[in-house]
Amino acid sequence: MSTEAVLVRKGAYYDSVQLMRVSRALADTPGVEAAMVAMATDLNVTVIRDLGFTVPEAGPGDLLIAVRAHDTKAAVAEADRQLTTLERPGTATSQPPLTTRSAAARGPADLVLVSVPGEHAFCEAHDAVLAGLPVMIFSDGVPVAQERWLKELAEERDVLVMGPDCGTASIGGVGLGFANVLSPGPVGVVAASGTGAQQVTSLLDWAGAGVSHILGVGGRDLSAEVGGLSTLRALRMLDEDPATDLIVLISKPPAPEVARLVEEAVAGLRTPVMSALLPTDLTEAAEQALRVLGRSVPEWPSWPGALREASGKTLKGIYAGGTLSLEAAAVAGQGDFVDYGDDAYTRGRAHPMIDPTLRVEALSRAGGTDVVLMDVVLGHGADPDPAASLVPAIAHTPAAVVVSLVGTLGDPQDLHRQAAALRAAGAAVFVSNAQAARHARSLV
Amino acid sequence: MTVSTRARRTRIHVTGAASTAVRPVLESPRRPARVIAAFPAGVYLEVRTDLEPSVIAVITGAAIRLPNSALLAGPLPHVTVGDEASVGDRAIDLGPLSLSVRRWWDPAPSLAPAEPGSLAGAAAILARPAEPRPGLDGNGAVASLSAACATGWLLGVVTAAEQLIGLGPGLTPSGDDVLAGLLVTLRHVGRAARTERAVWLADWLGATVTFDARTRTTPLSATLLHCAARGEASPEVLAVLRGVTGEQALEPALNRLRRLGHTSGADLAQGVAIGVRAVLSLGGRR
Amino acid sequence: MSPLSAPSNVITAGAGLLDEALAAQAVPTTPVDWRPPLPGTAEALVKVLADPRRQAANELAARRLTSARPYLVGVRRASEVLPSGTFLHAGPPITWERASGPMRGALIGAMLLEGLAGDEHDAAVGLAAGEIALRPCHEHASVGPMAGVVSPSMWMFEVRDEEHGGTAYCSLNEGLGKVLRYGAYGPEVLDRLRWMDTVLGPALAATLERTGPIDLRSLIAQALQMGDELHNRNRAATSLLLRELAPAVVESAPARAAEVLRFINGNDHFFLNAGMAAAKVSTDAARDIPGSTMVVAMARNGTDFGVQVSGLGGRWFTGPAGVPDGLYLGSYGPEDANPDIGDSTITETSGLGGFAMAASPAIVRFVGGEVADAVRATRSMYEITLAEHPAYQIPGLGFRGTPVGIDVTLVARTGLLPVVNTGIAGRVAGTGQVGAGLVKPPAEAFTSALLALSGAVSDPFE
Repeated sequence: MSTEAVLVRKGAYYDSVQLMRVSRALADTPGVEAAMVAMATDLNVTVIRDLGFTVPEAGPGDLLIAVRAHDTKAAVAEADRQLTTLERPGTATSQPPLTTRSAAARGPADLVLVSVPGEHAFCEAHDAVLAGLPVMIFSDGVPVAQERWLKELAEERDVLVMGPDCGTASIGGVGLGFANVLSPGPVGVVAASGTGAQQVTSLLDWAGAGVSHILGVGGRDLSAEVGGLSTLRALRMLDEDPATDLIVLISKPPAPEVARLVEEAVAGLRTPVMSALLPTDLTEAAEQALRVLGRSVPEWPSWPGALREASGKTLKGIYAGGTLSLEAAAVAGQGDFVDYGDDAYTRGRAHPMIDPTLRVEALSRAGGTDVVLMDVVLGHGADPDPAASLVPAIAHTPAAVVVSLVGTLGDPQDLHRQAAALRAAGAAVFVSNAQAARHARSLV
Repeated sequence: MTVSTRARRTRIHVTGAASTAVRPVLESPRRPARVIAAFPAGVYLEVRTDLEPSVIAVITGAAIRLPNSALLAGPLPHVTVGDEASVGDRAIDLGPLSLSVRRWWDPAPSLAPAEPGSLAGAAAILARPAEPRPGLDGNGAVASLSAACATGWLLGVVTAAEQLIGLGPGLTPSGDDVLAGLLVTLRHVGRAARTERAVWLADWLGATVTFDARTRTTPLSATLLHCAARGEASPEVLAVLRGVTGEQALEPALNRLRRLGHTSGADLAQGVAIGVRAVLSLGGRR
Repeated sequence: MSPLSAPSNVITAGAGLLDEALAAQAVPTTPVDWRPPLPGTAEALVKVLADPRRQAANELAARRLTSARPYLVGVRRASEVLPSGTFLHAGPPITWERASGPMRGALIGAMLLEGLAGDEHDAAVGLAAGEIALRPCHEHASVGPMAGVVSPSMWMFEVRDEEHGGTAYCSLNEGLGKVLRYGAYGPEVLDRLRWMDTVLGPALAATLERTGPIDLRSLIAQALQMGDELHNRNRAATSLLLRELAPAVVESAPARAAEVLRFINGNDHFFLNAGMAAAKVSTDAARDIPGSTMVVAMARNGTDFGVQVSGLGGRWFTGPAGVPDGLYLGSYGPEDANPDIGDSTITETSGLGGFAMAASPAIVRFVGGEVADAVRATRSMYEITLAEHPAYQIPGLGFRGTPVGIDVTLVARTGLLPVVNTGIAGRVAGTGQVGAGLVKPPAEAFTSALLALSGAVSDPFE
């Protein structure tokens, strides 16, 4: 007979990915029926309640441990053991840097990657800019006024600020955040959208074209408030980069006054610039880039569904990538789309590219008359084996499932293995999100 | 029926980065390989393949990033010369490790167009005597090579190169290092300065030195000549080339290069100096 | 590095997963051990960090603090410095009603010493009635250890900053055991103070006239290399000072030289008070720089722990003084201890004391713990300070300068509070010293200073 326990640890902080790993390890412990260890954000409290637990009063700065097990005491002890191993062991003479300022003062770094919760990101990014280091702000939820302020300071200090909410960047082949393993090549990307950049660059990689750099600028950079400061700087940097022969700019349509600035800047560059304004068919954008480079456009690989080609009535998009979701909605021209990577779903929990829980739930709610369209994004930082958690849900749903599998052959997840597993579970798989959307539409 | 008596070892999966030069070998079907040299910061593997590079350097962050390198994220396993290994199917198996690549770097990135005047200044800096002296300082064949390059006289270049291949002691003989420095300089600086004749010379010289390099010098040096013929080099050499075209400061980069190895860095720098002089003089007679 | 080439080392602040993804690509990283800031400070931090004056102001403050050149120039009777009808005391302002046992004991002792009360009871009544104005030492260019009580017939070290021209004072050290600064006021305490008034003070004043100014910066730098941290261990510094003074003492007060020298020699902490005045004059040089978030004073009155910040003038920000954690003398225990007291935290404020623990392996015998703890304490303080002291260096850390210039924004961001070494006073008036150890300052003193800084700047985001 199992009992349950919900404990509140006041003011104990852990990052959401670490907690997801602890939750998983705990749930896999023999004798444990259900377990979740998470910061007590509204979203996480709801999820824990949905698992049937009664949650006591707690705030987003507190840690919740919820277990249902034969021996809750042992389970909680196991949770504590797991949490203790997360603490970095300190040795007598080493003092880890506690701020970006301190880390920068220690020497060798030439780039800063900030992914602390959004309300605290300013402090770390500010340290980076003051130290004269370029910074990628992966965090979302940074107020736009702070973004503008940081980027103005960055102009003074002559450094690039990527983000906030910059999910993807790649500099000289080094993938930062969610990026794919890409071959070096002639295309430089300036992207206000991380997953948009991932789709375009992974297709370019498939076509053998390769990528020099991806400079993310954050979704709001081209707004009137921010004024495109990072976009303009990124364009200049790519123009000066000898490895870049073509620049692709991926963004929502800029604010009119910013659009004018960008046009003027582009006119002054030696390197040709191609814009892909969202929502747009990103596959078409990649193909156009290939044509500009004088390269041939290949057949984009796909693995048609093995089992259910049955049609449905309603198209449901359950996406991890916001831009991919918008693109698919635009291409399909119908259906209900939810972007699980949105702020509302990521407060105090890991991004759906890492934590499949919310989308697995969404799959379990799909009915026999639904066609489910979803993205699975591979690459650095993403779930090391996304098929493992999605396959059972895909196999069980009565709905038809179409997957847009964004990634390259070099990605750590082994794209062929992922495609085969998803296909065996009954999904139709496409490396082009636009093609996936068209296929899904054809099933409705 | 044969029964394998060797127990299957469970492999430790590790990741790292690699030069795109080794990508063709890595992505081919698996081939046997053998450890031909082992140092604390790097292990050289000779792969049984017709592809080049056929020697792959598996290194840690402390080693020189040769153009045929795969860089491990962690420590090297303990292996000794003669140990078996394998390369292919997207992995390098060495000792207990199986290395897969999570990042590729380009060992032959293009240079920015050369700033006017920067080449002449660079040639003067490169010509200054410095320590350590190159291994073939004062050698007649080097002087002939330099003179023939400056006039674009292919037969003279090839004749001198023939004498230099494999000349000198060690894993990378001085003669080969001079030729490698020259080859990458003619190709990259030639292109950056729009001196077609230099690039043309690089093509022919490259074809000459790679033709029978495997029989003329050490396996590692032969592979590095193949790389150089394609314009592939270590970051230290590429930094000097960027210094030559004015993208960054030349002297610090040159000092770093010259400090590599016993005389390897100085030999490479000598090749670069010959190449820059050649590009300058060939550019004048287009 | 050209603008766009593969990063050679990436600082990662936040998700460990993104750090691991870089490591998997064989890219070296410098991970930040990030924690959320102290509760309630997130908004203020952003505002204060964005204050355009801050960086230059802090650079100036740290430069002034570390470039001060304190010289011991004289010894003066407090009556020359003190306003009439006033006693000074340690820490932020306090009333008789809120004063703790040792503070009350020291004030009573001062009343008796000055002949303002016939006995202990009269003294307490007079003090409660407000017959004497009680003012913090810090408001009068002074500092005092423990209770820090200064009355007119006490003598004070006079230290001048030859770089910036400031002057600071600190009373003369009475020695250990039953002493006024620990709240004792028995006859032997008062007798000693009278001897100091009539013999020690005048002798030292004459001595310093003969020696001329003594360079305390250089003396402190030497003492650090001889195993002092200059708060709880002053043995080397006292010896060095005694060496400077001895011949001149003999010359200027031949009749009293033996007892004066014996007194100084018998007290390993004799230098502490001169060092505190040196620290005070150095931190005062960094005061009143608009926009600076650097701490210029930390002080306790036995009830409250207070800090002052360069950019906020003479305002005190306080929290309850904690009880030190350490080793107790004889049969005393934590229940006998008074909350933290004294201006001696000026040493930590200037990069000495707890901040220089790594220089003083022997200190672990006074405060408990292992030598490694002392090294760890110093290393951790670099995380909350603005500079490294150019003259005060630690041999064991490769002659690295001590961490100096506490920044309230860094305290709030890291949650790391200054490490303070201290003596422990008995809680009952008249007991004296009961131990020594480490004390944790209250976080709210720093967070309220930060909130005040944020209240003083206009919103940069509007």
